[in-house]
Amino acid sequence: MPATRKLKDRDVYLYHGQIYIPNTYTAGGLGTQVLAALRDKKKILGIRCPACNRVYVPARSTCKDCFGQLSELVEVSDRGTLLTYTVVYQPHITQPVEPPIPYGIVQLDGADNGFLHMLGGADPGEFRIGMRVRAVFKKERTGSILDIRYFKPL
Amino acid sequence: MRQSAKKTEKQQEYISIRFDAPRKYRWSTGKWIGRTYLEAKENKKIVANRCPQCREVLWPPMQVCGRCKVEAGEDWVELAQTGTVMQYTYLVYPLWDPHYGEKFANPYPNAMILLDDGVYIRHFLEETDPKKLKAGMRVRAVWREDAERGEGTADIKYFRTIEE
Amino acid sequence: MPNRVAIVGIGQTRHRSTRRDVTLPEMINEAVREALADADLTIRDIEAVFTSSMETFEGIYLPDHGAAAEIGAFMKPGFKVCTGGTSGASVVVEGFCMVAAGLYDTALVIGFEKQDCGETTAAITAATTPVWGKGAVTGAIGEFAKQALSYMETSGAKEEHAARVRLKADRGACRNEYAHLKLGLQTIEEVLKSDYLVWPLRFLDFCPQSSGACALVFATENRARKIHRKPVWIADVEVVHQEPFRAGTFGDPTGKEAYSQHVACERLYKRNGITHPRRDIDMAEVYEPSNWEEMSLYEHLHFCGKNEGWKLVEKGITEMDGEFPVNPSGGVIATNPIGATPTIRVAEAALQIRGDAGEHQVAKDVKSALATALGGPNWTVLTLLKRTL
Repeated sequence: MPATRKLKDRDVYLYHGQIYIPNTYTAGGLGTQVLAALRDKKKILGIRCPACNRVYVPARSTCKDCFGQLSELVEVSDRGTLLTYTVVYQPHITQPVEPPIPYGIVQLDGADNGFLHMLGGADPGEFRIGMRVRAVFKKERTGSILDIRYFKPL
Repeated sequence: MRQSAKKTEKQQEYISIRFDAPRKYRWSTGKWIGRTYLEAKENKKIVANRCPQCREVLWPPMQVCGRCKVEAGEDWVELAQTGTVMQYTYLVYPLWDPHYGEKFANPYPNAMILLDDGVYIRHFLEETDPKKLKAGMRVRAVWREDAERGEGTADIKYFRTIEE
Repeated sequence: MPNRVAIVGIGQTRHRSTRRDVTLPEMINEAVREALADADLTIRDIEAVFTSSMETFEGIYLPDHGAAAEIGAFMKPGFKVCTGGTSGASVVVEGFCMVAAGLYDTALVIGFEKQDCGETTAAITAATTPVWGKGAVTGAIGEFAKQALSYMETSGAKEEHAARVRLKADRGACRNEYAHLKLGLQTIEEVLKSDYLVWPLRFLDFCPQSSGACALVFATENRARKIHRKPVWIADVEVVHQEPFRAGTFGDPTGKEAYSQHVACERLYKRNGITHPRRDIDMAEVYEPSNWEEMSLYEHLHFCGKNEGWKLVEKGITEMDGEFPVNPSGGVIATNPIGATPTIRVAEAALQIRGDAGEHQVAKDVKSALATALGGPNWTVLTLLKRTL
């Protein structure tokens, strides 16, 4: 069957096609340590820039401001403050769970930047900016950012 | 869908994530290639347009003549369906094709064919025996069945060797 | 008057087929740090950052944006250049033009590609849509295969000549700590035993899929001399486009002749008083996706007459110790992180002029060098480098 459909009012066809290229994304050495810590120890790792005295979460290899090469891994708390959030209702093939999906940016205690993740364990309408939240880990963890199921209100 | 995969290099663990899903697209043929699609589907003809300035036949048909930089217009000409093979190649090792979404080694050789009215077309050859392939061989277009047509030049299944 | 622009810092990653140990931004960062160290500068001294890579290859939209911190572009002007296979040289031209125009005194110019993240041929095939024939395009390699067949049939070149080019490339690569494929090939027979990939190209006739990055630091004249003892001057650049994959519409039968290379060289040479390239320039780093293409490029780049490219190979003229060395670094056939590859040609040519190419430094003194770039659509970018202007 041809993959085309002719438009009704003109001699123009629409080709229904795809671009299907499998991709592999590498976490890298540092990223792997972060994911392995989620999997093996239920701990969230950040990294400290000594020159700027700030902690990035998740850990990254270069400081945004001073360009320093970072290596000082630090454990940050699994609790933090919800800085902002939204709720997704439309389904999409890329979603990790079924909608509605509340997700937001949490400033974990000990970190200087925000951590993006899903929210749960409460009705979507219950979340508030400034709320204290805590990470809930899955029982079966694989070394993925989704080893954290969501952040739920404390 | 997404899977988390662990790979090991010596004693060091490195985590990678594989994303394996098609991205769907809809492409329009627009007006000019749309005419090619129509003539191929309805009439088993290959049509191109002629630039009003340089009089060159533009294949694939285009809205603008690249050399003259003028609107090419709709002076449609029907192209010959026989031609001579200029050059060819065939894929031995299956490689991932994003439009098929899988590893693919097209069974037919891909060739550059000079149609008898001077236009070059890239298409497949029916002949798969490498010993019988050679530049200079004469070929004729073989069309797909009615129900299968509707994809422009892909409505030609391949070019068959003819004795001349 | 435009400013004079020099390369004052060069950095590369050690190119490999997979780099599971780094993310894309971390990989680019390696080349950036090496270039800054070579220039003895900090990221604060860089006024603008230019990057290039191929779209769709890493499966990430806007890969350079995700690497903003790692390329030192955070809160700085940055430009992204994508022109297919020539991206890495187009970005050199873009950086050169902006610095020459006086907009920036220093710039970082980066080419990168992490090909282990995707499927290279599929990503190139995505330059076409199935509107125009599904399965008809097998990335770039089908095109280069047809070119090889044409060259084999019309020029008098034999498989042995192509094999010799492959051996030359491998010898250079084995002496280049950054090169990817270091195979230790010794004989023509080894090359000819390799399986066919897309007929008539064998696996060994074609470039690998590499992951790597290359970074250059540019500076205007009054900064350049203070930064590096041996600045390498970008004397001239030339860019010529051709239409992609159409074949024959504008007078080129197989559509595979890299005619834009011929035209670009004519213009560049005329502007720079070059009448006998092998005499007036000292060496070249050319973008050769296959060994057959290299022989045909010798002709298009005016290094010799038509159908004589293979004769240069036979006489050893383009070897490392030859009269006109071509690709002593191992070339593209040994290392090809596509977005970085043209930048690597410029970097390697600059290293030769500086005398800093280590074990793959050519025997003769190099005062001027030509770096070329070729894209699947047969676009051409040329960069002419000189020790003194």
